[in-house]
Amino acid sequence: MVDDITPDETLDCRGLSCPMPLLKTKKAVGKMSSGQIIEILGTDPGTKNDLPGFATKNGHEYLGEKEDDGFTRFYLKLK
Amino acid sequence: MNDQNENSVMFGLLKQGYQTVFMKNWPIWLGGLLIGIMSVITFAWARPWGVAGGLRNWGDWFFNLVGIYHHQPVSPLISTNSILTLGLLWGAFGAALMSKQFAIRMAPPLELIKGVVGGTLMGIGAAMAGGCNVGGFYSALSALSFGGLAMMVGLFVGAYLGLRYIYWELEHLPSGASGGSGAKKKKNAFNWLDVEPYLGVAVFIIAIICAWLYTRQALTKIGGLLLCGIAFGVIIQRCRFCFVRGFRDPFMTGEGEVARAIAISLMISILGFAALKWTGLRGEEVYVTQTFWFGSLVGGIVFGFGMLLSGGCGSGSVWRAGEGQVKLIIAVICFCLSTSLFKALIKSSEGFTSLIGSRVFLPNYLSYKWALVVLFLVLCAYYLIATWNEETDKFIVEI
Repeated sequence: MVDDITPDETLDCRGLSCPMPLLKTKKAVGKMSSGQIIEILGTDPGTKNDLPGFATKNGHEYLGEKEDDGFTRFYLKLK
Repeated sequence: MNDQNENSVMFGLLKQGYQTVFMKNWPIWLGGLLIGIMSVITFAWARPWGVAGGLRNWGDWFFNLVGIYHHQPVSPLISTNSILTLGLLWGAFGAALMSKQFAIRMAPPLELIKGVVGGTLMGIGAAMAGGCNVGGFYSALSALSFGGLAMMVGLFVGAYLGLRYIYWELEHLPSGASGGSGAKKKKNAFNWLDVEPYLGVAVFIIAIICAWLYTRQALTKIGGLLLCGIAFGVIIQRCRFCFVRGFRDPFMTGEGEVARAIAISLMISILGFAALKWTGLRGEEVYVTQTFWFGSLVGGIVFGFGMLLSGGCGSGSVWRAGEGQVKLIIAVICFCLSTSLFKALIKSSEGFTSLIGSRVFLPNYLSYKWALVVLFLVLCAYYLIATWNEETDKFIVEI
């Protein structure tokens, strides 16, 4: 299901660890508008818990994640 | 049912068990519960859980080796401090392998610098407070030491200041560009991830052999502590349990999950410690750090600020280092060195030692009964305020 998503923005958080990916996402999301999709690239295993939690708390839709070459792509749809 | 069928059912169950334990993260509240129980078991077995003491022992040992310290520290192989911390690292490493989460993760330059500064500050804070978030706060509070509460206040202040810094950095410093992610896989290359669980099993088997070897050397206590440390490592890695989140999240995202888990965990641990001390099975002065109030409070602030920079508390930095995160490995090394040096500095001056503070054992002032009531009220308040903040976002600092 996450295979055919075209994100509006891509945020590269590879190499960053908690809490930086989450804070950068929070900041990037603030500059985007409703309904847009953000793609976040990350390598920290913690991000797999943090992003869905962030989405739930803030009412965004967590679309899912997929593994790439040594990193993970996460997708969020803004409320 | 024939044998083959029964075997495959058993195999299925084992596989399912493995998936539950190592493929999914455990809930945070379960981590709190298990840490509380392990904390009591560890104290009943030998001594309270600590992390910074082990790191200091390693720092002392290094400085002795290069000829800067002239006194010989207790060997890291038999120091209980060192063994507990080694166990934590070992357990986290094994659990990360089992769950295919071990990878050498390089970080961008700015992050590495934050690892150096954060680790150094945490080392200084831990030297002042008589321990990190574990020995100076968690175990100290469990041990009914007033210093534990003073450090809790300090940790909040430090975490708040640290978060303000991180927000400032997000605005003003070129955000650390990607440091890239581990090694790029080549096509048809050997896939390490598939082998990791087997290495993990080997890592745990070696641990059990080591514990057995200690027993053979009449060091059963040390061997047991190694296993306790490993249990902490596995629990904490599988829950990704990080004390930083209990102090930072209420200001950052408003989430109170970890704060609640810490509160529950401490309640269990406090009851266990109180039982062991009240009945005289363990000395009353154990882990009542001689740091009230200056050392605990100011050390807490310095430590709290440092843990925000490095992105892991004392225990959190160690388990993340066990997972292969380069920034946290650097933070742990700096922690070892700075905490050893700063402790030596404090010890070298009588004035400084007395400034750091004195032992305050709560039951000496309040009696055991009222000390427990007071601590439980404080923890209930922590639990409730964190939950209330989750609903109202009152304490959140916006970017």
